[in-house]
Amino acid sequence: MAAIEKPPTPRSAAHTVIGSSIVIDGEITGDEDLVILGTVKGRVGLKESLYVESSGVIEADIETANVEVSGQVTGNISASEKVELRANCKVVGDIRAPRILIADGAVFKGSVDMEVKGAK
Amino acid sequence: MATLDGSTIIGESILINGNLNGDEDLTVRGRVEGTVTLTKTLVVEPTGVVKAEVQVKNCVIAGAVAGNVTASESVEITKEGRMIGDISAPRVIIVDGASFRGRIDMGEFEVREGERPALAARSRPALSVRRPAAKAEAAAEKGLPPRPPEPPVPAGLGAKKKVIVRRK
Repeated sequence: MAAIEKPPTPRSAAHTVIGSSIVIDGEITGDEDLVILGTVKGRVGLKESLYVESSGVIEADIETANVEVSGQVTGNISASEKVELRANCKVVGDIRAPRILIADGAVFKGSVDMEVKGAK
Repeated sequence: MATLDGSTIIGESILINGNLNGDEDLTVRGRVEGTVTLTKTLVVEPTGVVKAEVQVKNCVIAGAVAGNVTASESVEITKEGRMIGDISAPRVIIVDGASFRGRIDMGEFEVREGERPALAARSRPALSVRRPAAKAEAAAEKGLPPRPPEPPVPAGLGAKKKVIVRRK
């Protein structure tokens, strides 16, 4: 498990951070890494990685390349590369990705689909 | 874990469409559309585009803003800033080079409004009529001859004349 985990460097290099007191109700789209410490409702569509930190709350459908969840996610997650559920995260929804990691301590309710439907 | 806690940055390629609320500073380098409500400062950087109803404490615009901005403290449009919309804030700063189209409301300032009509009534006629007279009076007090009736006289001559007049 630990070998697959990324070092925390991409997080500090990320351009976009949604702070812990921020609430976004709507749609977020973009081509870069996104770190969420606050709350996002609606839809998230990225071509890079999404990091939901432990204070982060997402009530949205997520469509990205990579997702790393330490906080709470309610909604369906669709990733073209990898979804990682860290310890102490809470995820309710369906996950679809070629690689899915669920760490010990993660809370997850939903279905998992690892079948690759071509490179998305 | 939280490397950049307390500051929110919307990166260049990010588009947010919807409502954004928060109690911290927000830096926009990408696009935000909808509404933005903050209790702190919104900074729109040169690459940033905000098409939204903005309600913040302070707002610094170095990018593009289309929409109305209401700030409880100040709004500043820097020299790279472009804005279309109405501003409502007690302090509004627009520097040289900034482009802006819209209305500005700096709120109530009763003291100045009360003074203005009185000032205008007193000073406007004085500007056109009394000024030459006042100048002449001032010149007379200094002991210099008023210019219209006499050609300019060297200072030394003027002084001699005075002495002669006194003797008579």
